[in-house]
Parts: sequence; structure tokens; C-alpha cells
Amino acid sequence: MLSIKNLHASVEDKLILKGLDLEIKPGEVHAIMGPNGAGKSTMGYVLSGKDGYTVESGTVELNGVNLLDLEPEERAKEGLFLAFQYPVEIPGVSNLEFLKASVDAQRKARGEDDLSAKEFLKQAREACKKVDLPAEFLKRGVNEGFSGGEKKRNEIMQMLLLKPKLCILDESDSGLDIDALKVVADGVNSQRSPDRSFIVITHYQRLLDYIKPDFVHVLADGKIIKSGDASLALELDAQGYGWLTEQREGDEA
Amino acid sequence: MANWLESAVARAESGDLVNDCFVGKRRQALTLLKQQAWPTRKVEAWKYTSLYPLQDKTFTIEASNDTAALSTVIDGLESIDLIFINGALQNIPSELPVGLSIASVNDSAEAWAVETYSSIKPERHLFGLVNDVLASDTVIIDVAANASIDRPVRIVNVLSAGHESHSRVLVRLGNNAKASFIEQAIGNESSFHTAFVEYDLGAEAELEHYRFALQTQDAMAVGGCHFNLATKAQLNSTLVGFGSVLSRLDVDVIHAGEYTHAKINAIYLLDNQEIFDLHTVIEHAMPNGSSEENVHGIVADQSTAVFNGRIHIHRDAQKVLAEMNNRNLLLSREATINTKPELEIYADDVRCAHGVTIAEMDKTALFYLQSRGVSLAQAQVMLNFGFINELVDQMPNQILAQWLRPQLRERFAQMEVK
Ligand SMILES: Nc1ncnc2c1ncn2[C@@H]1O[C@H](COP(=O)(O)OP(=O)(O)OP(=O)(O)O)[C@@H](O)[C@H]1O
Ligand SMILES: [Mg+2]
Repeated sequence: MLSIKNLHASVEDKLILKGLDLEIKPGEVHAIMGPNGAGKSTMGYVLSGKDGYTVESGTVELNGVNLLDLEPEERAKEGLFLAFQYPVEIPGVSNLEFLKASVDAQRKARGEDDLSAKEFLKQAREACKKVDLPAEFLKRGVNEGFSGGEKKRNEIMQMLLLKPKLCILDESDSGLDIDALKVVADGVNSQRSPDRSFIVITHYQRLLDYIKPDFVHVLADGKIIKSGDASLALELDAQGYGWLTEQREGDEA
Repeated sequence: MANWLESAVARAESGDLVNDCFVGKRRQALTLLKQQAWPTRKVEAWKYTSLYPLQDKTFTIEASNDTAALSTVIDGLESIDLIFINGALQNIPSELPVGLSIASVNDSAEAWAVETYSSIKPERHLFGLVNDVLASDTVIIDVAANASIDRPVRIVNVLSAGHESHSRVLVRLGNNAKASFIEQAIGNESSFHTAFVEYDLGAEAELEHYRFALQTQDAMAVGGCHFNLATKAQLNSTLVGFGSVLSRLDVDVIHAGEYTHAKINAIYLLDNQEIFDLHTVIEHAMPNGSSEENVHGIVADQSTAVFNGRIHIHRDAQKVLAEMNNRNLLLSREATINTKPELEIYADDVRCAHGVTIAEMDKTALFYLQSRGVSLAQAQVMLNFGFINELVDQMPNQILAQWLRPQLRERFAQMEVK
């Protein structure tokens, strides 16, 4: 599904990703944890093609397609989806209009007709319900004045509607109350399937009680420094990252 | 130094001056006009807008009907249409709602009309004087007191290549009358027209007003809408401008009675090397009035927007509430916005607020849309539209809003973010 090899990327001439490797097979859920500023969000932005992020070396392939050559919208059409850590507010553009434009664009890429306004509204309402957002949120400006938790649920709703192949969830759990955490987790779990994969970026082991990962990786200083199964998250929860980074410094010395 | 203005004056003097009941006012205007020099950029009113494209141009003045390709239809709108084709007024609709009368001054005019003509439009507008002396076919529209006219009256100027025209309308809304007026100009080929409309609102009258200056490219237009508001009169006006080589609109709102309210929403969308110049003057002459002006503009490529918003609160106009806001979205580093609020406040117990913003397109919002599969071009249209739609949504006539939206989208689709 996704293959990242030796990825080096910089922002404003500052090298952030320093040799990232990651292999994800269809149907797998990979959790990525790691200290603040390690480069987790940067990875999401580089994969989705945000302006200002320069790939210095390395390769990224999604189902055999070289992602790095594509515009952001083309990457989305290849099935990539990033749930933003900080979703963007767009006053003046209604959530519904935004969602319809997104869904239509992807349908068009697959050679399908636009959904009728009515059919789309029905799907959007269902998606709202799944993430426990009142349907009125469809009429509001995109994320405009949404609370932190509502923004996160709005991201998951987009994922439900767009049905991507690879979902990167960047701290979709932060700022959520316990009920909302379950809602988000249920949303994700309902989408798990043999041909869809997830990268779940989180700081909290608790999310992984709800979304069971196949692998847990620690990203620190721009690369994966340790990988393991779900038990690694428990270890990190108990001990933090200190022992890992010290161990690594020891290894390097 | 022969230029367009001198030839216009010569035309008026050589006997073209229309000899109707307004001839006294026309003579006065001609005298004033002859004292005026061709405005250069040193003249404050024309500081940012060059009249150079008009300066040495000559046009056909005879009206002719070669405008077949231009449709004046607005889908779904049942309006009462006054159509000037290259300046010639087409038939005045014969079946009019009760309370509405429309006449061309060739038929002679009533005393109120003679008195009001050219008294609401301030003398300082050079092309207003030009219009005074050159507009034939003046149309007088009277809405009777207490009448409420459901169908909007539409004043359309259609211009075809090489033509020059001058149209003039005078509107009176009697006390407590309600009506809606749409002013529109059509035709993008090289032409020049002036269109001035004066509105006299009686006590408690309500006017819903639109002016669509959507001519682009080589079509030159200079015109004005001028409103006089008696006690408790209310104006709701929406102005939309696409730029062209020369496009200038002067709006004057005179709060002549107490408890008047004026709301003006203006939109301009400029591309290429086009220019749109909006000058608004709000005169609060009496106490307890309010005015609210929202001007949103998007400028692309090498275009130039001019917004000069003057609010003048006279000494006795206590308890006035005046707000003015100009927001701009700059799509290119080579586009220019000249925005200048002018507040002159002589009363002490008033609330007056104004604000100006100039922003670039939000790149993170663009990326957010793209990351969901929306193309860059469409994302730009959506964001542009979002910036403007707030004002389109506020248009009281939603049929007009529906007619306008696809034209805005088409316009946005051509505007490039650089
Ligand atoms: N535009 C920028 N200019 C300079 N530095 C940047 C820029 N964007 C990100 N960085 C830096 O890149 C590093 C990685 O940031 P990133 O957001 O990827 O961290 P993260 O792992 O997601 O952290 P967190 O857990 O706090 O979300 C940080 O040190 C950050 O300051
Ligand atoms: Mg982050």
C-alpha cells in the first residue's frame, strides 16, 4: 500500500525528516508516536504535498504510484487522506459545498458522475450522524467557529464520505472528551477493511485501546527509532521516550 | 488640445442641447462644464483612474440597433424593463402596476420633476454635467405615495462596438412607497456611456436598489446613482462592478431627513489590466440616521481598484450611526488597491466606525481544499466566492442573486492567483 524509503525533507531550509522508512500493507493500522517536534505532522504534510515542504531525497509510493510527483489534489485522488492536526477554518465556504466539491472531484477522477444534490445530502447527513455532529454543521462555514473536538469530528466525517485508501490521522484524538474519542474511534473502526490502511498519529496510548494497531512506531528526530506491536505503546505510556533516545545515543556512540 | 470633453461641449453648443422642460438646467450645466478642464491625475477625483483611454476617442453618437447578440434577459425575473440601446430608449412598457408611472420627458414633465432633476446629483461630477447636456430621452418614474410595486423596474443600457450614449433617469418614491430598481449595462466592446439615475425618496419610502456594472474589457462607463432620503426613508443598495479600461461609479446618499437608513453592499472583481473606481459619499445632514457600507473586492493580475468612501456627518446630525468597511483580497502582487476612507465628522454625539483590510489568498485554506481532491483552480474559485458570497446572500432579491452567482463564478475561474 504505502512504501516510504529513506525520506529526507526540510521546511524553510531546516531538515526535519532525516531518513524515514515505513512500509504499510493493505488493511494494516500503524500507530506513530513520538515527542513534540519530532516530525510527525511534517510527514503527513510531505505525503500530501503541502507547499513549502521540500523533499531532499528518498521515495514515497502509494500502490506503486510515485506520490512525490503529484499535486496535492492528485494525491487525494490516488486515495490519500490526511485528517489535519489543526483543521483549517474557511469562512464563506459552507461545509456542505466543500464536502460536495471534494466528493465530486474524487468521483470524477474515478470516472463516475456527480452525485445529485439530494443523494449527496443524504450521505452527508448519515456521515454527520456517525460522528455525532448535528446536521446544522453542514450549513456552517468549513470549521468556522467549530470547537476543537468538532473540528476533529468534521475531519473524520470527511474520511467517511471520501472513502480513501490510506488515512493519516494526525492527532485526531487530541482535545476530545471521552465520548467523542469513542465516536472517532468507532468511525475509524467502521472503515477498517482489508484494502484500507491507517496511520494513526497520537500521543496517547488510550486511543489505541479503541483502535487496535498492528504496529506501533516511535518517530523521533525525523526517523523511526523503534517499532513494535501494540505493547510498545503501553511501554511508552509508562516510561516516556527518554529511555529510547538515550539508548539510541548510546548505540550511535 | 482637442479631447473628448471639448468635442462633447462643442456638440452640446452646436444645437444638440435637448430643448425640453429641463433646458434651463441643461444650460446651467453647460456653463459649468465649459469652465472645466479635462481632468488629469492631479485632480483629486481622478487621482487613481486615468481618463486616458477616453481622451482622444470618437464614437458614433447616432443610436442604432446592432445589438442583436446581446441578451438583456434575466432568467426568472419579471421586471418592468426600460432598455436604452446605444442611448435610444425602446418602448416604455404600457401595462404598468397601479401606482407606477413612467414617462419620457418628450411628453413634458410635471413641476416636481423639473424641480428635482439634477438637484440630487451633485454638481461636482464632471460626467454628470456631461450627462446633463447630452442625455436626451430622460425618463421620469413616479411611484405614488403608499404604493408598493412588486415587480422591479430595470434600467438597461446596451452598448455595441463604437457607440457612445448618455442615459438619464429620475425616480421619485412618494411617501411610504416601496419599489425596487435594477440598473444594468451590457456590452464589452469598445464603447462609452454615462448613466446617471437620481432617486428622491419620500418620508418612510423604501427603495431596494441594484447596479450591475458588469461590462468589461474595452467598454468604458462613467456614471452615478444619487439618493435623497426624507424622514425615515430606507435604502438598500447592492453595487457590483467588473472592471474595464475605464469604469467609474459615483454614489451619493443624502440623509436629508431624520431616522433614515442606508445600507450599501458593494462588490468588485477585477482582472487583467482593468480598473474599477467606486466613489461613495454619505451625507448625514440630519440627526438619528444610520448608514452601513460593506465593500468587498477581489483584484487579480494587473488590475486596479479604487474605493473612496466619504462619510460626512454635519454639525446638527447628532446620534448618527455610520459604519464603513472595505475588505480586499489581492490575488497578485501586481494588482493595486487604492482605498481611502474619508471621515468628516462635525457632530459630537455620533458613532462612526470604519475599517480597511487587504489580504492575500489563504494558502493553507487552498491546500486544505486540494488535499481533499479539489483542483487548485476550483479551490481558488471557492475561496473567492466565499469572500464575496456573504454580500450576494444579503441581496434581498434572490432571483438576482441566482443570476449573478454563475457570472461571478465564471469571472473567478478566469482570475488567476499569482
Ligand atoms: N514552517 C516551519 N518553519 C520552521 N520550522 C518548522 C516549520 N514547520 C514545522 N517546523 C518544525 O519542524 C519540526 C517538526 O514539526 P512537526 O509539526 O512535524 O512535529 P510533530 O512531531 O507533529 O509535533 P507535535 O507532536 O507537537 O504535533 C518542529 O521543530 C517544527 O518547529
Ligand atoms: Mg504534529
